[in-house]
Amino acid sequence: MPSIDDVVDAPDELDDETAQELYEDADRTQDMMGEVCPYPQVEAQKGLQQLESGDLLVQETDHVPCTENVPKAVGDDAEATVWRSGDGVYRIYLRKN
Amino acid sequence: MVSQLLVAAVVGLGIGACLQKGRFCFVNAFRDLFAYKDTRVTKGVIAAVLVTMVFWGTAYQFGYFQGFWTPGWGLTGIVGGFVFGVGMTYAGACASGTLYRAGEGYVQYWLTLLFMGVGYVAFVVAFPSLQSTYFASLTFGEGVSLFEISPVPAGLLAIGVAIVATLAYATVLGRQHTGGSERATAASARPATIVGTPVVGLQRLAAGTRSYAAGVLDAWADPIAASKRPWDPRSAALGISVFALIWFTSVSIVGVTGPEARWSGYLLSLAGVDAGSFSYWGSVLFRGAGVGVTVDMVMIAFLVLGSALAAYWSGDFSLRMPRKRRLPNAVLGGFAMGAGSRLAPGCNIGNIYSGLAELSVHSFIATIGIVAGVYVMTHWIYREVGCAI
Repeated sequence: MPSIDDVVDAPDELDDETAQELYEDADRTQDMMGEVCPYPQVEAQKGLQQLESGDLLVQETDHVPCTENVPKAVGDDAEATVWRSGDGVYRIYLRKN
Repeated sequence: MVSQLLVAAVVGLGIGACLQKGRFCFVNAFRDLFAYKDTRVTKGVIAAVLVTMVFWGTAYQFGYFQGFWTPGWGLTGIVGGFVFGVGMTYAGACASGTLYRAGEGYVQYWLTLLFMGVGYVAFVVAFPSLQSTYFASLTFGEGVSLFEISPVPAGLLAIGVAIVATLAYATVLGRQHTGGSERATAASARPATIVGTPVVGLQRLAAGTRSYAAGVLDAWADPIAASKRPWDPRSAALGISVFALIWFTSVSIVGVTGPEARWSGYLLSLAGVDAGSFSYWGSVLFRGAGVGVTVDMVMIAFLVLGSALAAYWSGDFSLRMPRKRRLPNAVLGGFAMGAGSRLAPGCNIGNIYSGLAELSVHSFIATIGIVAGVYVMTHWIYREVGCAI
């Protein structure tokens, strides 16, 4: 039985605790608050180019569409998960493959 | 009048909510197609256009309509559309995207709206000389909707065009699919035939639609939770088409920058400017009826409110302050969108959504201009990392 997740094609969501732990472990963070498309997508691609396989890049953003199109933009270069604060702040976790 | 205002409120709230829930962004639809071959939003836009076309064609055939919007056709669609396409890609939001994000609390897009307003005003001031030079030399013929001139009944024509468009899409999909499997099984692969490619594509389209329908059914199990989650752009497309049908039968086609340009004239008239004395506001936009609030102006105001309510319900509403280095995007992008939408005339909603759905000749041309503008600007923004197409 397909779920709604197959349909919206959105990355898996993290719970608050995991999101915070991973955020503290990040190899690189990018502050994308106040940014608009497509700059976070471009920055994510550039940021990943400078990381090693297995490294974690985290973007903090307040731009809703980024939670889907940043993971789409990096494609197979990284595994993506997201965290939604519930009040308009999002983090996108990209683990480089 | 009261009933029209009620329709404006319902349609505005509904379309605003659908745009927000589906993150229905025309820039995303084309930019990410070119940059990453990501067709998620593109599929939503295609679905919205085709479904609306069938709805409107059928309503027109049976006499349930108020009128089409068919400006004269010519190269203005290419020039203005291109300026608009460049502007919306730089701004990061189309005309409808700017409105729904203004509702989500983005100060960046309030600024974009403001500078779209500056673009409208600059156009209005320049209009008398543009009319005798730019429009006179680049407009080649009277505007027309194919629904009005086709010997085929409009409803059937719409269904026919939708089938042809679906087959064309299936062919592209099938070609990608067979292209991939040919590499994988080179020894046993048969060359794709003219008939085979669309069939493979249709099978994939059917499978995609089935999994989409199953997902929607699944979501019905917990409608409140599903209403707070992001929606598939195709769901938003269906919702928008239903509200657009209500609007078409009772008011007109759906437009955004036309009503916005009227707002700019109306707001300036409140500030003491004699907006009616400018020919573009007075005789073109308000058609000599005096500068005031029209029903489509009310509709787009409710669109912003609908998006705000949907965003609040989904936990996506917040007052977002822009970055200093993104101000040029709002200022220049907004201005290019405002001016470009008047030069075309029409924005992504007037031309790509409503214009294609009503089979307007002008909008076919303007759509090419807008998409070309997005293509060029996307390649410039992604110059460091490269584009897929």
